[in-house]
Order: sequence, then C-alpha cells, then structure tokens
Amino acid sequence: MDWFYIKGILILSGINLMAVLGLSLLTGFTGLFSFGHAGFMAIGAYTAAYLGVKMGLPLTVALLAGGFSAGLVSLFIGKLTLKLKGDYFCIATLGFGEAIRLILDNVQTFGGARGWPGIPIRVDLWNVALVNVVGIALLVNLVNSRHGRNMIAVREEELAAKTIGIDTFRYKMISLFISAVYAGVAGGLVGYYTGFLQPKMFSLNKSTELTIIVIFGGIGSISGSVLGALLLTALPEILRAFALWRLVVYGAAVIFIMISRPEGLMGGKEITWKGIASLLQRGLRLHPAAKSQAGAGAQASVGDRGGDRDGNGSASGSGSGDRAAQSIKPSF
Amino acid sequence: MDQLLQQFINGLSIGSVYALMAVGYSLVYSIMNFSNFAHGGIIMLGSYFGFFLLTLFKLPFSAAFLGAALGASVLAVLVERIAYKPLRMRNAPFLYFIISAMGASMFIENFVIATIGPTFRTYPAVFSRSPFQVGPLFVGRLDTMIFVTSAVCLLLLVYFIDHTKMGKAIRATAFNARAAALMGINTDMIVILVFAIGGLLAGIAGVLFGMKYTVYPQMGAITIKSFIAAVFGGLGSIPGAVLGSLVLGVVETLVSGYFSSQFRDLISFSLLIVILVFRPIGLMGKPAEEKA
Amino acid sequence: MGILEVRNLTKTFGGLVAVGDVSFAVKRGSISGLIGPNGAGKTTVFNLITGVYKVTSGEIVFDGRPIHNLEPHVIANMGITRTFQNIRLFKRLSVYNNILTACHRNARYSIADAVLRLRGFKAEERRMREDADALMEVMGLTRWRNSVAHSLPYGVQRRLEIARALAVKPKLLLLDEPAAGMNPDETQQLMSLICRIREEFNCTVLVIEHRMDLIMGICENIIVLNFGRKLTEGSPGEIQTDPRVIEAYLGEGAKIGA
Repeated sequence: MDWFYIKGILILSGINLMAVLGLSLLTGFTGLFSFGHAGFMAIGAYTAAYLGVKMGLPLTVALLAGGFSAGLVSLFIGKLTLKLKGDYFCIATLGFGEAIRLILDNVQTFGGARGWPGIPIRVDLWNVALVNVVGIALLVNLVNSRHGRNMIAVREEELAAKTIGIDTFRYKMISLFISAVYAGVAGGLVGYYTGFLQPKMFSLNKSTELTIIVIFGGIGSISGSVLGALLLTALPEILRAFALWRLVVYGAAVIFIMISRPEGLMGGKEITWKGIASLLQRGLRLHPAAKSQAGAGAQASVGDRGGDRDGNGSASGSGSGDRAAQSIKPSF
Repeated sequence: MDQLLQQFINGLSIGSVYALMAVGYSLVYSIMNFSNFAHGGIIMLGSYFGFFLLTLFKLPFSAAFLGAALGASVLAVLVERIAYKPLRMRNAPFLYFIISAMGASMFIENFVIATIGPTFRTYPAVFSRSPFQVGPLFVGRLDTMIFVTSAVCLLLLVYFIDHTKMGKAIRATAFNARAAALMGINTDMIVILVFAIGGLLAGIAGVLFGMKYTVYPQMGAITIKSFIAAVFGGLGSIPGAVLGSLVLGVVETLVSGYFSSQFRDLISFSLLIVILVFRPIGLMGKPAEEKA
Repeated sequence: MGILEVRNLTKTFGGLVAVGDVSFAVKRGSISGLIGPNGAGKTTVFNLITGVYKVTSGEIVFDGRPIHNLEPHVIANMGITRTFQNIRLFKRLSVYNNILTACHRNARYSIADAVLRLRGFKAEERRMREDADALMEVMGLTRWRNSVAHSLPYGVQRRLEIARALAVKPKLLLLDEPAAGMNPDETQQLMSLICRIREEFNCTVLVIEHRMDLIMGICENIIVLNFGRKLTEGSPGEIQTDPRVIEAYLGEGAKIGA
C-alpha cells in the first residue's frame, strides 16, 4: 500500500472521528440516541462550503461557522424534544436528518440533488489531525469536570440527578449542542476534502454508521471512540471485496454487542498515560500477547470514569419471580 | 371540488397503510416502552415475501397475502427473541434497546441488499388498473382494496384488544407490567403476542405498499412516517396512531396534489414540529408523570 | 415558623386522591417522622415536596419561600434533597464518583473554564475531591471507595444514597424508608447515623419509615397519614397511644385486643 492511499484512509478516519467524538458525548456520556447526526454534518458541510467558496472566508472560520450553525439547529430540536421521553428525541432526529436531505435536494444554489462540485481542496492530513487533537483535548477536559460528571449522571439515573440539583434538561441541551458542533465541523471537513458535496452523502446510513462506531468503541469512552473510528473506517477500505456484507455484519455485531458486551471495546475505561506506563512495567513479563491487542491493553490501563459495566454483573443480580415483569419496562 | 374529494380518498388509502404500520409500532411501544425501530425492516420483508410468493411460487393472491403476513409475523417475533429478550431479562437501559433495534434494522435491510439485490421490483398486476366510477368520482380499484383491507384489519385488531381475554391481558400489561405479572399474566407471552400481531400488520402493510408503489430494500424507511403519525396521535395510543396516520396520509396527498410532490416528504416532518410545539403529548395521548 | 410548611396539599391522579388536604409543619433542626400504612400517600408527599410531581392544589413553603411546582433541581439547590424507597444510585459508577458527582454544587467553574482549564478549575476541582473524600470518611464509605455502586451490599447502598444527598449540603433531608431491608443491628447504626447527620450537617430530617423502633427512637414529631389524609400528629408518646393510629395500622378488629 502506498502512502497516498494510507493517507486517504487516515483523513477519512479523522473526519469520521470528529463526528464520532461529538456523538460519543451525546450517546456515550449523556445517554441520548440520535438518528440525525448526518443532518448536522450536512448543515456544517454546506455552511462551511458556502462561506468559503462564495464569501471567501478562511478555512478555520468556515469550519467553526459550519459547526456553530449545526449547533444552533440542534438547540431548536432539543428545545422541542428533550423535556419529553427519549423516544421523542429519537423520532425527531430521524425526521430531521431526512428533512435536511430533502431540503438540500431542492436548493439549487447548492446544486440540489446532483451535488456541488468544485469546492477547493484545503483539507490535508495535518489539519485534520490538528482539528482532532483539539477536539479530543477539549472533550477530555469537559468529560473530566463537574459538567461531564453531570452528563453521566443524566445517563445513569435521570431522576436522581435532578434531586441532587442537576438541571438535566440543560445538560442534555449542552451535550446535544456540543455534539452537533463537532458533527458540523466534521461535515465542513468532508466538503473541503472531497471537493464535492451531495445531499445523499448525509443519509440515515451515515448517522447509523457514526453511532455504530461509538458503540463498537464503547459507551462512555473517548479512547474507545478513537479506536473505533480508526478501525471501522480503515477496515472496509481494506476489505473492499467484502463491501456488500459489511453492513450486514455491522448490524449483527451491534446486536451481539448489546446482548453480550454492551460496554463495547473499551467499556467506560480510558487509555491513560499512567495506565500505559504501568502496563509497560509489568506487561512484558506477564503476557507478551497483551501488548499487541489494544483492547487487552486497555483492560489493564484503567482510568476508571465509572462507565458502563452493566451486563454480566447485573444479569445475575436479580433472580426474583417477577423479574420478567420488571424487565418489560426498561427504565432509563 | 371533485378533485379535492378524489385526493381525499387517495389520502385515506395511503393513510390507512400508514395506520397499519403505526398501530403495530404503537402496540409494541405500549408494552415495551421503547420505539421498535426495526419495524420498517419487517414491513420490507413482508413486501418481499408477498412479491416472491406471487411471482416465484405463482400462488394466488390471497395465499400470497396470508403467507407474507405470517412470514413477517414470525420474523418480528424472531427479532424480539434475538435482539430484545436478552436485554429485557437483565433490565437493560432504554438506550440499549434502541441500539439493538438499530442493529436489527441494519442487518435486515443490508441482508436483503446482499442476497436479493438493491433493485426495485414491481408487483404483478393483481387488480385492474382502471378505476371505477362513483357519481362524478373515479376511484382506483387498488386504492379501494387497500383502504378496505386496512380498515378490516384494524377493526379486527380493535375487537381483539377490546373483547378477548388475550386482548385484556395485553391492555393490563401495557398499563402496569409488574402488576399484570403478579396477577398471573405471562408477560413474556404477551410480548411475543404483541410482536406477532405487529409483524402480521407490518406484513400486510408491506404487501399493500408494494402493490401501490414498488418493492425495494430501503422501503422500510417509510416507517418514519408511521412513527411520526404515532407521535402525532399520541405515543402508545392505538386510536391515536390510526387518526394520526389518516391525517398524515390526507395532508400529504393534498399537498402533493396542489403544491408540489417534492414537498410531500417534508410534510411529515413539518407536522412533527407543529405537534411538538403545540401539543407534545399528541392528539389522543394522556399526560403522564414519571413514577418515582 | 417551621423550615417546611405544607398547607392543604392535594394531589390527584385521574380521579384518585393520592394526597388530600394534608397540612403539617417541620420544625427547623428537628427529626420528624412521616408514617402510615401502605398506600397512605407518604412517598407521594415526598415527591410533591421535591417537585417530582406537580401539586394539584395547596402550597409548600420552604424557608419562607413557596416551592410547589418548581423544577426538582431548583428545589434541590434551594436545600431539599432526598433518598428513594427503591434506591436510585448511579449504578455503574464507583462510590467515589457517585459522591463526587453530587458535590458539583461546591464548585462554580463554567463549561468554558472546564474545557480550557481556566481560572480556578484546578483548585475548585481539588476542593471538590477533598469534600468527597471527607464525606466518604464521615459516612464510613472509604473502604468501598472504588467499588461499583450496584455491587455494594444493600445497607451500604442505602448509606451511599444518604451520603450523595448530603453532598448537596441540604437544609432539609428527606429519607424514604432508609431502614428497609436492614437487620436490627444495622437499623441501630442507622438511627445513630441519622442523629449524627443532624448535628454534623446542621440539617433538618424528615423520615418515612415502617420500622416503629426507628421512628419512636429518634423522631421528635410524627405525622400520621392514612388513605391520603392526615390522621394525626404528635410526639412519639402521643402517637403510640392514639387509638386511631392503632386502628389504621391494625384494622377495626385490633381495638379489642388493644
């Protein structure tokens, strides 16, 4: 494989990662499920492209403006649905994602359904990497603060979170806003990397793909999302012949993860410098194979943020007769 | 005026198919308290069953119709057993159900693409395309058949829910699953039953939809309209789902008839926004307070 | 004037009156009990006070300010926190993180401060962590520090939930059946813990409990509910001898035996 090809994959992974980071905050840390993040990407992509191409703004400003406009739209959806049960939010994002696509199909200024070619290519590996490093740093800082912990509290037990004084609606809104901004920036990168935008690039499938990466990486783990984005973007590129069955396998794998290992690859744990150091100290002697596999390494390098450890533990926890009845109404 | 009435009838016909989908979805919602986003996949499979039973096996329409409904029903139960039951058994959070549903939906759709192929297929003409005349109105045979079939199915369902012992058990479980279980209702059986009924209706909807338009792997996406119709009517309410679907169907046909068909698919989303702004509990929903 | 005054509080669900015309006051610095047979509306009263349910009619005044129909988090931040009958911990978080999350009120830094690590972020975060450690020490949870909440023994889970409520520094602490599922030994410990909480955290306690030894042992004032109405109110001595209370608990026939 030549460098050009590998670079292409890395840039694509980086773009996906940016969107996945935002979604990781929303789904992994706050416990909200979105079907419409491709819609936020689309808003960011078209805004950034418009500002750059038609108004000549520099890339950084265009990307930020793209992210911000996606964020604004997300606040509107959040305002309508986040006070209601989770299903309303899901359905609204599902409808939103499709609606954005349909609207863009009919806006001739942006080329409509045929697409918008000729966007200058300004994205390269170094600036994608830079955007991601900043994105990760900010997110890690957020998650490791009282605000991040409040979001996790919303995910874990919303009512209890309210009774210790957390404005759960506000934190859901903030989480949604930030995740939409990340998706918007990612969308902006798409346009300036491929030089071409088309509404169908931002279909429901794209939203689903992003969510799947978050789940593979592990709910409530940023390093998991990073690993997930790198692996799941690179894999299908390498296994081109397999393309037809890729999504079939993904679908099956998602179900399998949920019923067997809902914590995903990283399971609410993070790879930390301290963890890697301690791993290196004892790791080599202990098990030479452990180093080669990211997942196993992560197990040992615990930076516990108290993530998702449901599953095997709680399955054996309750054994009463009306367990089936309790389990009918999932409480979240 | 005649044209308006004509559009209205077309709208009812489409709306009644939405209703079949929305009712299955609402029924599952009322018992499980989560949105079964794999419902669209089941509708699509039902449509393919009908198509292949008619073309490949050359079955008469009634047999193909029944076969499609039963096939979809079995698969809906299968999805529940594989993707949801393990989660129910360990009281998994809401989020996991949604994710699992998404996985199932993705699996089904892409499995069909990988095996049968992504092409659009047209149902063989079972009913004559020529409309019949009622006074000044020309009513499509297919539209009439779709509306009548849907209406009969929905009436049967309402009868089943309201007047049979099993229907009563479903209502009890929807009201309070725990208490129902303590009363000796096998809630696991109720879940199977509800998925079977939902699947049955989905299969029928799939065949009707396939006959009116075409069959293709992504056709499950139309369920977004039934989800929205269900929110419009009030999540979990069956009469609400029917009403919401009919309104949506009629509004859609009127808009595409009088303005532009490009706006048709935006209607459902606009309607969703309107209902969320003005009456988020839906037309027939009851305000609920979270139990502490 | 009590710290909490409940006046003509009514809550109906559909046609069902869960709480009807209930009035009582809780004296500042006291430990009070709310008792009554199953379904008397005790937990509903808690849910109304903490804003989980909206009030149908009547008013709730806390510290001189009306609080009925405020959002739960606003009420919590005014100084009322609670525990739940069916424990609601952040199940998959460690004990430490459960408490640390609840300490969020002790820091003021904004989201921008957090993301960019500005201003007092480090200092405030350190203080929060110290607060959390101190609270764990007081509540005897230090040895469980890194255990995941849902894996804890039942009694410890209850204690953790109380600790989490205390982390918000409440003026009024509502405990919903804190002794449920505890053996007599643990109940004894809980009783002294509740008394200690009042002294050390300088707060008022209102407790729902079925265990009469606990109620009679630590409460100064007891409010009795029955079928959603207030039956009576008084000191443990008065309540113990009140025939109406005995009847409510044991039914008509018990009178003969009593």
